Amino acid sequence: MNAVAQAVAVESAAPLQVSGFTHRYDAKVVLDKVDLALQPGSVLGLIGRNGAGKSTLIRAMLGLLIPESGSAFVFGEPALKLSDSVKERLGFVPQQPDALAWLSAAQMFDYLSRFYPKWDHRFVEDTLGRWKIESNKVMAKLSPGERQRIDLVRALAPQPELLVLDEPASALDPVARRELLREIALRAGESGTTVLFSTHIVSDLERVASDIAFLHDGRLLLNCPVDETKERYARLWLPANVAAAAPAAPLGKRRHEDGSLSVIVERGADGAWPEATRLPGARVDALGLEDLFVEIAE
Amino acid sequence: MCISTYIHVDASLLTIQPASAEPIYRQIVEQLRRLIAGGQLPPGELLPSVREVAGFHAVSPMTVSRAYSLAESEGLLERQRGKGMTVAAQSKPALGQAQRLALLEPQLLALARQSRELELPAEPVLRRLDKLLKE
Repeated sequence: MNAVAQAVAVESAAPLQVSGFTHRYDAKVVLDKVDLALQPGSVLGLIGRNGAGKSTLIRAMLGLLIPESGSAFVFGEPALKLSDSVKERLGFVPQQPDALAWLSAAQMFDYLSRFYPKWDHRFVEDTLGRWKIESNKVMAKLSPGERQRIDLVRALAPQPELLVLDEPASALDPVARRELLREIALRAGESGTTVLFSTHIVSDLERVASDIAFLHDGRLLLNCPVDETKERYARLWLPANVAAAAPAAPLGKRRHEDGSLSVIVERGADGAWPEATRLPGARVDALGLEDLFVEIAE
Repeated sequence: MCISTYIHVDASLLTIQPASAEPIYRQIVEQLRRLIAGGQLPPGELLPSVREVAGFHAVSPMTVSRAYSLAESEGLLERQRGKGMTVAAQSKPALGQAQRLALLEPQLLALARQSRELELPAEPVLRRLDKLLKE
């Protein structure tokens, strides 16, 4: 491939693509053959319980951790060998930012802005003011919440094309959180920024995510558009006397003490619910993402 | 030529419940349908832009745009060149009573089900509802 063709391939490649990721810590499998691809301009919310493997997946996707097997590509380049030009298009906020702690926020921004041609000085000033960040204090002396806010500003300022946020809202108050979500929604919708963010707070991603992925015990259980997920899955409750007729429910099945049964059902290709929903006494409940996640993860 | 004045409604007109089982784009369409059916959004009324709604509610502009397009395809809204979305001129200012009642059906079904679950007789529920409606 000549240089131009290669440049075009990189330009048009998926912002992030992962295939066959498997990883273990000691004997425990944390990622089990995970495949994932992000389309340009999409906002993917990665949900999982604490310890589900979200951070491991994110770190491996970006080449910050070498998985046992599998491969990852960022804008078409192998994650383990990213060129500077791809790194320039990528913004990442780790769960616990700790880089350059001996500087003040103002010093760090001044330093970093020299490396990024699209650094948005006005955004930095406005956001620091609104989020009431002490930009002249050495960062090591700030609280984890303040560090996280600074790191979000740091990642957003270069106007990255791919933004990866690991539990970005965990240390933010409700007002700052809403502001971050607005920023994510507008950047993705208007500038075509692709966003991946992990969270265990489902309501955060319901506003802005276009797609969700449930990571549970190292496996991706669901990976679909948010609206479709809400329309396609429901909880079917069957009284004890007809519980034996329950459909196969790979996503979640719960037997209650009185012999009744709850299963997660999916609409068929024709949009209809399975037969069992018409059993006498059966009840179908629409589910929000949080309920669906709890049913699946329990 | 007739000069029309557009009254500007802002994005706070809509309420969005992200945790609801109903997708956000559907919540928007259903609210528009009710507001138009009830005459609160008269024909010609200019709707807030996609960006305003998305920014105000911190939701994806694509979701808002999907809702507007769906409402347009259903004839609720009309795209005005250079202005944005307006309430469709031919959409009747107010639907008949039966049609407006039909829009309440999901909420009524939920109310009936919850009343049964609480083993409440109809009478006190209706009395309370009657009071609320007269407020």
